[in-house]
This record gives sequence, C-alpha cells and structure tokens, in this order.
Amino acid sequence: MKDKGIISLQNVSKLYGIGDVTIKALDEIDLAICAGEYVSIMGPSGSGKTTLLDVITTMMIPTSGKVFIDGIETTKMSNPELASFRGKKIGFIFQTFNLLPKLNALENVMTPLWINGVPREEREGRAKMLLKEVGLEDRMYNRPNQLSGGQKQRVAIARALAMDPEIIVADEPTGNLDSKSGAHVMEVLSKLHKDEGRTIILVTHDESIGKKAQRRIFLKDGKILRTDEKHVCQLNGYGKHKIKHENIKQKIKN
Amino acid sequence: MVLDRDVVEVSVKNLRRAGIRTYLTLIGVIIGIAAIVSLLSVGQGLNVAVTEQFQQLGSNTIFIIPGAASMSGSGGAMISLTDADLDKIASVKGVSEVAPIYTGAATMQYRDEKAGISIYAMDAEKAGVFSDTGFMEVSDGRELTKNDSEGILIGSSISEDLFSRTLETRKIVQINGVDYKIVGVLKKQSQSFGGGPSSNTTVYMSLEAYKRIFTGELSPGIVFAKTYTRDDVEQAAENIKKALEKKYGDKSVSVYSSDQLLESINSVLGIVTLFLVGIGGISLIVGGIGIMNAMITSVMERTKEIGLMKALGASNNKILMIFLLEASFIGAIGGAIGIVIGFSLSILVSVIGTAVGFSLVAYIGPEIAIGALIFSMFVGMISGILPAINAAKLDPVVALRYE
Repeated sequence: MKDKGIISLQNVSKLYGIGDVTIKALDEIDLAICAGEYVSIMGPSGSGKTTLLDVITTMMIPTSGKVFIDGIETTKMSNPELASFRGKKIGFIFQTFNLLPKLNALENVMTPLWINGVPREEREGRAKMLLKEVGLEDRMYNRPNQLSGGQKQRVAIARALAMDPEIIVADEPTGNLDSKSGAHVMEVLSKLHKDEGRTIILVTHDESIGKKAQRRIFLKDGKILRTDEKHVCQLNGYGKHKIKHENIKQKIKN
Repeated sequence: MVLDRDVVEVSVKNLRRAGIRTYLTLIGVIIGIAAIVSLLSVGQGLNVAVTEQFQQLGSNTIFIIPGAASMSGSGGAMISLTDADLDKIASVKGVSEVAPIYTGAATMQYRDEKAGISIYAMDAEKAGVFSDTGFMEVSDGRELTKNDSEGILIGSSISEDLFSRTLETRKIVQINGVDYKIVGVLKKQSQSFGGGPSSNTTVYMSLEAYKRIFTGELSPGIVFAKTYTRDDVEQAAENIKKALEKKYGDKSVSVYSSDQLLESINSVLGIVTLFLVGIGGISLIVGGIGIMNAMITSVMERTKEIGLMKALGASNNKILMIFLLEASFIGAIGGAIGIVIGFSLSILVSVIGTAVGFSLVAYIGPEIAIGALIFSMFVGMISGILPAINAAKLDPVVALRYE
C-alpha cells in the first residue's frame, strides 16, 4: 500500500505539552492517500484535522511515526530539502486566503515562483495564464483589498497552482466565502481533481462540503474514527497526472 | 543558492514598504557614519598638513627646545641656552648650520592704536634655513638683511587686520616704544609654522633689531640645526642631546629630528582623532540598535507572511537571508548618505577653520569612504542577525495562523 499511495502516514503521533498536561493531537495515525485521489478530512474542531494536514504538508514534524510522499520519507528531510519539496509538490489553499496585502494579484501568484527559483522570464507569463484560468485576467493588477472574497480565493488557487503541484491541500477553503463563491471554489477543486488528476486533500467540518470528495476520513480525538470504503487508487493513477503536467508545461510555453 | 537576485529584490521592496520606519532607522546610521567620516577626514587633513609642512622643512633638520621632553615644553625646569651651547651644537659632527630663534611677545603701536604681537628673531644670515620652507616668502618689499637693526617683516594678518589701516612697506611702527620700519610683508600662509603661531600674525626681525627691545642675556626659544645629509640627522640629534644633558642634566632639553617631531605630533593627532571617532562610533552603535529594533518590529509584523513564505517553499536560510539583507541595506544606504554628509561637514569645518585663521584642508579619501561603507554594512548586518534568526526560526504552522 505504501508504494501505491502518493502520501502515506505510518503510526504518526503528535503530542503537545501545555503545562503539565500532554495533549495527543494525533494518536498513532495510519493513513494512505493515493495519487490523484480526492479526500476530505472531517471532524469537529479539536479533532486533529488541521494537525493532520500540517503533518501531511510537512509544515509540522510529528512527534513520532513516519510520513512518506512519493515514497520519500519527509520526516527525515532537512529544512532546505523540506522547503523545496513542499514548494514544488504541495499547493496550499487557506480559509483566510493569506494573500500578501501589499502585492497585487499577479505578484501574489508570482511569489511561489521566485521562492522556488523559476526562471525570471517564465514567471509573469505563467502567473498571467493561471489568473486567466481562474477568470481574473482583468483583475491582475488589483491588490487583495480591491477584490471580493471569492476573487481573493481564486487568486489563492492560482497561487497554489503556480508550481504545478501534484497535491493540493485546502483548509476550510469555503469558510470565509458566501455560498455562491464557495460553490465556485468547490467546482474548481473538483476540476483540478477530475480533469487534471491532482491529489486533493480538503479539510472541513462541513458535511455538505466534505461529501464532494471521493473519500471522507473522519477524525475524532486525534484518531481516525472511520473512512469511506471506496478505494480509488486504481482509478486515477499517477500517470494521468503526469500527462496533465505535460499539458500545462506546453501551455506555459505558448 | 540562498542569496540570489530575488532575495535582494524582495529585501529592497520590503524596506520601501516599511516607509517611515526605514527612514527613521536610516537617520541613526547616517548620524553615526557622518560623525565618524567627518572626524576622520578632518583628522587626516591635519595629519597631511603637518606632514607636508615638515617635508618642506626638510628631513635633515633638528629641533632643540630648552625644557622637558614634552611637546608643550612645560613640566621641566626651564634652562637657558647660551652662545657657548650654540657653538657646542655647531661643533657636533654632521651639523652644517645652527639657527637660534629668539621669541618674544610685545606691543605694537601704529599711530594711536596698540595691539599685541609675537616676535621671531633670528640671525638674518642664517635665515636661509627657512627660505626653502616657504614660510617667509615676501610678497611685498624685501627680505631682512644682516644688519637690519630697524627693519622688520610682518605677517599678512598684521598688515591687513591688526589695525584699522593697512600696514604697508615703509610704514613706521613702534614696538615696545621703539621705532621700526616695515621692509616687507609676508605672503599669506595657510599653515602655521611647526604648530607654532601662524606666520601671518608674527613679526620677524634680525637679532640686532631684537636686541633693541629685549636686553640682557638672550636665550633662544628654539634652535634649528641642519645636518649635511639626511643620514646624519638621527645620530647628530642624539649627540646634541647628550652634550646638552651632560651640562644641564637629564631631560633638561628636548631634541628632535624633524621626522621624530613629525611622528610625535602625528601620533598625538592620531590619538585625538581616534578618541573623537570613538565617540562617533558610539552613535553608530545607537544606530545599530535602531536597526535591530526596526527589524524586530518588522519580523513581528510579518509573522504571517513569513509563515506563508515557508509554506510556499522558502527555507529557513532564505528567510534569514531576506532579513539579514534588509538590515545590511539600511546600514549601507545610511552609510552612503552618512559618507556624503560627513565629507560635506569636514569641508565646511575646513572652510570655517581657514576663515578664522586655523587652516586645514579636509582629507577626502576613498579609503575613508570605502571603509565607512563596509563598516556601516557590517553594523547593519550584525544588528540584523538576531531579528533574522528569530524570523528564520518561526514555526511555520504557528506563524501562518498568527493573527
């Protein structure tokens, strides 16, 4: 199972010490997420959803256990290796958008490009193409405070796609949006999964949002309570994403 | 590569973004660097001026000053050199010429105005010792001759400024009540002679003329001796000192070759300059603390942004470098502005100094500029280390959700 899964967690625990009390945010989690799979991590607040996402995205190193992405053990990587790995493999979408307020939409989308050393001449073209894809070609030079919530989240999606990552993680992406914008974001996520074959990991407490995923993982008190039976690894192989990958590169060139 | 063009660009953008805070922080560095640069420039200017003066004098000159071996000549029992001593100096091996200078203060009267002056008197025949220094260049009239018992040379300031009317050649003045005729006016000098009173404010006369107002046993204030060659000068100075000390006792007389005197004057100048620069350095330390303060505030303000950058793939080192560069830029930009202001100040000081008669030329050297720039960048970088480490060490998860 480890070999097939693009993400694999083995016996992962995360402990927090608050004063004398130790809290187990994650309690010996075993989990595999396949390449091209669309999963939602669900559970009440304090169940460990966000911690699980932090561990998967390599933003947090677990207290014990191993995390593999593409068969590489991220829990053993150094900080520069992790940063570069994260920058190229994982795209982040946040509830609060986290756009840099002093930069315009285009510059925000270009941020991961310079951080990850994409050649200068490619950056603007790629960022413009992505903003066009999310329907913001006439908003490229607007700053976040000149954009609506839905538009901000679309800029954030374009930014998440800038490095053409295989994995997209979305932490309550509709939490700060009206229902129409939220629905649009969910459509985009579905498209990224279905059409482009990316692995999508969605964290939400909202049942109606969570069920859009192929598979739901329910957490409670840092343990996996249950997961949907569906197993989709065979349906969307790694290969399909690769094909899409090529397509995007082609588009950038043009 | 952690340090690349992008990191540099982002650092610059961030500084611009910080606006007023960046400018205020810059002021701290500017003041410190301007203080250091101007003091170094003036100090070095003095050094160069003194050195040039001694070079004019020639390095085969020996100064013999009665009194203790300190620059001011005070602190020891004053002795009076006699004619026999002068003969003894002249007989020292290698010595070619001996020129005693008799000094004194007197009152000059012109019509019904009176003013204090200082007098340098020398054997007119031996005035040749100074002719190559340029300090006694006559701009109007003639030089002193051997038996000029009534003629005097006056400095340019005495001619122009001392009295309400300009003193010209052929005018008669009274010094301590004795009549003297002005035979020449000296060219205006930008430097004083050997750190002594400026030749602009001095009256020069022959020994015969001097004896008309100063009677009794005459004792030179300073004796200049010249040697045939430069190689003799140290040994001759040593021998003169030995001979005089044998008679008057240890430390009764100060004997310097011009190189030694130059060295000791410059070392005193150097210490004074260093001390002043040290005070300037303290203000730069304050500037550095200002940078640290601004950077710590900046890191706190940008916590969420730092978290985001880490999520987007920035390594700790990249974050470190961005903040370190920002601090270094503040240092370097402040340094560059400070250098310009510092040099301007030193030029201003030299202009004002020259105007009031204490002349010096500010030294505008590339080594001061380059040194100050490197130093200010270094101060910026050092001040940035702690905030930059704080930024780099931020837990990405905590930083990203920081409100």
